[in-house]
Amino acid sequence: MHDLLPYIHGSISNLLGSVQFFMPEIWLSALFIIVLITDLLFGKNSQKLCKTVACVGILLICILDLGQRDFIKQSSEENIPLFLFNNSLLLTRAAVNFKFIIDLLAFVLLLYADWDHKLRAHKKGLSDLYTIIIASIFGLHLMTMAVNLLSIYLSIEMVSLASYLLVAYRSENAFSTEAGLKYVLFGAAASAIMLYGISLLYGFTGSLDLFDGNFVQGLTQANGMAVSFALVLVLLGIGFKLSFIPMHFWVPDVYEGASTPVTAYLSTLPKIAGFALLINFLTPFIFSVRWSAFDFKLFLSIVGIATMIAGNFAAVLQTNVKRMLAYSSIGHTGFVLMAIITFNQQGITALTWYLLVYSIANIGALVLASYFANVTGAEDMEGYKGLGLRYTTASVCFVIILISLTGLPITAGFTGKVFVFSAVYGVYQQNHDLWLLLLMITGALTTVVSLFYYLKIPLNLFIKRLEIVKEPVSKSYNLLFLATIISVLLILLGIFPDFVINYL
Amino acid sequence: MLTLLIFLPILFGFIIVVLPSSMRASFKYITLLATLLQLAISIYIYLNFKTGVAFGGIDHETQFQFLQKLPWIHLNLGSLGTMQIDYFVGIDGISVTLLLMTSIVMVVAALSSWEITSNLKGFFALFLLLDMALIGVFCSLDFFLFYIFYELMLLPLYFLIGMWGGARREYAAIKFFLYTLFGSVFMLLVMIGLYLSVKDPATGNHTFNMIQMMNPANYTPGSIFNILSHQTIFGISARIVGFVVLFVAFAIKVPIVPLHTWLPDAHVEAPTPVSIILAGILLKIGGYGIIRICIGIFPEVATSGAFWLGLLGVISILYGAFNALAQRDFKRIIAYSSVSQMGFVLLGIASQTTEGISGAVFQMVSHGFLSAMLFFLVGVVYNRVHDRDIYNFRGLGTLMPKYMVFIMIAFFASLGLPGFSTFIAEAFSLTGAFKSALLPNWLAICGAVGILFSACYFLWTLQRMFFGSVSLKGGDTWRAALVDLKPREIIALIPLALTALALGVMPSLVFDKINDSVLALVSFTKTFIR
Repeated sequence: MHDLLPYIHGSISNLLGSVQFFMPEIWLSALFIIVLITDLLFGKNSQKLCKTVACVGILLICILDLGQRDFIKQSSEENIPLFLFNNSLLLTRAAVNFKFIIDLLAFVLLLYADWDHKLRAHKKGLSDLYTIIIASIFGLHLMTMAVNLLSIYLSIEMVSLASYLLVAYRSENAFSTEAGLKYVLFGAAASAIMLYGISLLYGFTGSLDLFDGNFVQGLTQANGMAVSFALVLVLLGIGFKLSFIPMHFWVPDVYEGASTPVTAYLSTLPKIAGFALLINFLTPFIFSVRWSAFDFKLFLSIVGIATMIAGNFAAVLQTNVKRMLAYSSIGHTGFVLMAIITFNQQGITALTWYLLVYSIANIGALVLASYFANVTGAEDMEGYKGLGLRYTTASVCFVIILISLTGLPITAGFTGKVFVFSAVYGVYQQNHDLWLLLLMITGALTTVVSLFYYLKIPLNLFIKRLEIVKEPVSKSYNLLFLATIISVLLILLGIFPDFVINYL
Repeated sequence: MLTLLIFLPILFGFIIVVLPSSMRASFKYITLLATLLQLAISIYIYLNFKTGVAFGGIDHETQFQFLQKLPWIHLNLGSLGTMQIDYFVGIDGISVTLLLMTSIVMVVAALSSWEITSNLKGFFALFLLLDMALIGVFCSLDFFLFYIFYELMLLPLYFLIGMWGGARREYAAIKFFLYTLFGSVFMLLVMIGLYLSVKDPATGNHTFNMIQMMNPANYTPGSIFNILSHQTIFGISARIVGFVVLFVAFAIKVPIVPLHTWLPDAHVEAPTPVSIILAGILLKIGGYGIIRICIGIFPEVATSGAFWLGLLGVISILYGAFNALAQRDFKRIIAYSSVSQMGFVLLGIASQTTEGISGAVFQMVSHGFLSAMLFFLVGVVYNRVHDRDIYNFRGLGTLMPKYMVFIMIAFFASLGLPGFSTFIAEAFSLTGAFKSALLPNWLAICGAVGILFSACYFLWTLQRMFFGSVSLKGGDTWRAALVDLKPREIIALIPLALTALALGVMPSLVFDKINDSVLALVSFTKTFIR
């Protein structure tokens, strides 16, 4: 105990010094408490109020995120990395971008949550849902910055717990309950595997800090096989969040079983944070010259190719819209892995952009799935037959959004594909790695496959005809409005990507 | 000027979208107005197009006309410099005639859209969007811009075939879409590879500028597509891979056997205006792409592979002709005759002689008019009785004499009767093929035999459907329905018939404009042969 005394002063000043870089997260926890208390104080009628508070709060946090860009600029000028809280967090340019994107998308999701009629019909009300989402965003923020094995594990668990609650939130039918249980079991197993990997890594090096010089050096000295095993375990744990092969089994059931806004949440935010975490985790190994025990490039290439192929081909067979989007999101994960393998700044920019565009489009697609479920009760593609001419605006938006997900001009999805391909090509040109070429070819091929299943929706909407058109069950203008904004945004970002991407 | 030409249709498209559906009767007039305005602009461009050695175009940026270049996407990529994508349009001799042809065919297509009765707003909005993309492809000089317009065509066409098509429209539409996308995603990869290989000498940035891609000096040393660095992909020279990928993408469009199977389906199921656009303009984009991009950027590969290109062309000519002989659906015959006739384009290109390439461009222009005319004529019968089986008709000549006149003109013009445009085009393509040192003579002879077969199927169809005594499957109801051409139809057909005749008598209308560019292209490819 006495040995630690001399360090206390240093630790405390480090903590206090870090606080100024931690403002968005501190305000997030304040927001969490405020929403929670609002819910308690106003009881049953608190739903609208909680939503307003949460939305306004998250917008304020977006502004705080933007403020952090100055810190980044300063630190890159002085060339001092911004480690926080005794090297457990690292604030980088990518992290700030990811946080901003997460908060922005969270704002959209918070708006969207109670516009889904099925979720709104929940008898407990949605106040708890807002609280949980805010808490999970705190975890997501940590994930984007975590560079310490302990903080990595904590942040992932934080997000996981929130996600379990969200998935099981609306558990009125057996299918949804099953999805929730499946998710919890898979999640628990994945985190146990990851924890095992982490403990092995700690055993090899005696350090939890990824950027500690001893960490990578310790691993190079340990047995190569054992280290590879431990690293694969940790990657699998992260992979559960990213849902790449072979950690994808939970995705279709959970996406289908959860209520649509929750699916929109699951398919975007944890994925973005997961990629941010993967970048953080890989960085020390990539920049270590002597590191040769485990070939991340090979591992991620194989996983990426397998994920693209499996996700896209499985999606072809689906008839439920949400299930199809679930498989397609697996395919997108594979595509983004391709950008990670470049391991350079251009690759990360391309990845950020691709994730942003994908997330916007995917949320848009699910918003429209909600819309059609609200208005006509249709959840399968069969149910969409002949609706195109009746709900023209929504259907045209759906086409634009799906085209963006496929990656065709002139939508933002196309620019995303171009940037990822050119980042990978740039690296291929230098090292002529066969895997990169294979990745690109798979990426191109699966684009054609993805067109086939994405087009099934417009096919049913416009081309198949149905004699009897059901009367609308109810109206849902909010969702339509949101979907329209998203589609216009996707086209604008497609034509003028440089307005945004130059800031990434 | 070009910008106006490109974006004029979409402007009118917006007007149609915002107008209420109660004004749906006016949509066709708005579309017609848009295409007529477009025609007026392209006639102006055609008349003001300067010729001479100083306006050859091809690989000299300054020799292009009606140039417009605006910075569009400039991304800062840190250590890799800036990504430079320009809005860059301009035309040379090869594009100008195709541009005029496109405008005329679009007017005809707009006139034939009178037959569309359901969901007019959607149809005309998509029609105009497609129009914009088609014009854009012929004008773009930036590969990125080209690709965007190229892909932008697919979606409207998918819906136009899928929503207003025949019985198997879903199948035909998705087949067309997947086929073309398959070609173009790999084109995207090559495009990015080229972009990373080429630097704009003026700014030092990587660029998508097609004209800079044609100059071997602009390639960074050691880059994938640099001629001197001899890079390989899977053990094959990277430049050959690049050429083949681009060629396949365009060959699907042309279409060249064995990549043609989407075409009969798409044509048969598509409504008449879409068939006209498909055959008249879309197929030409394939040929145009091969000339401008495949030959322009990889000339030495085109030269060394000329035999295979020529062989594919001849196979298309013969295979298309044989298939046309075997069909009993009137529209399928025309569709396969398109495959056959577009084979001459490839044969002409493969010869890489002035005659051959002039013939290829001429064939594209001439086939644009004639196939539009043929599909329009098929549409006339189909709209009246909703049947196209040749054996269900007999003696149409006595029933519809005016129709017969136009059919005769279209058939004889297409089978290469002297005095009509196809004769000139095929004669030049074959002369090029005979003269070319790259192609053996038997290829050209086989191509000439193809003309014979085309005469067979056209004349046989004529005999079966139009001669003899009147005998129709539908009996008197059909006889009542099969009235002769209406004034609107005659108005649409007359300009097509006249241009086919005019081009046959005065081929200089086209040759004067394209000659300098073709010479420039031929001498440009020659510089690569070492």
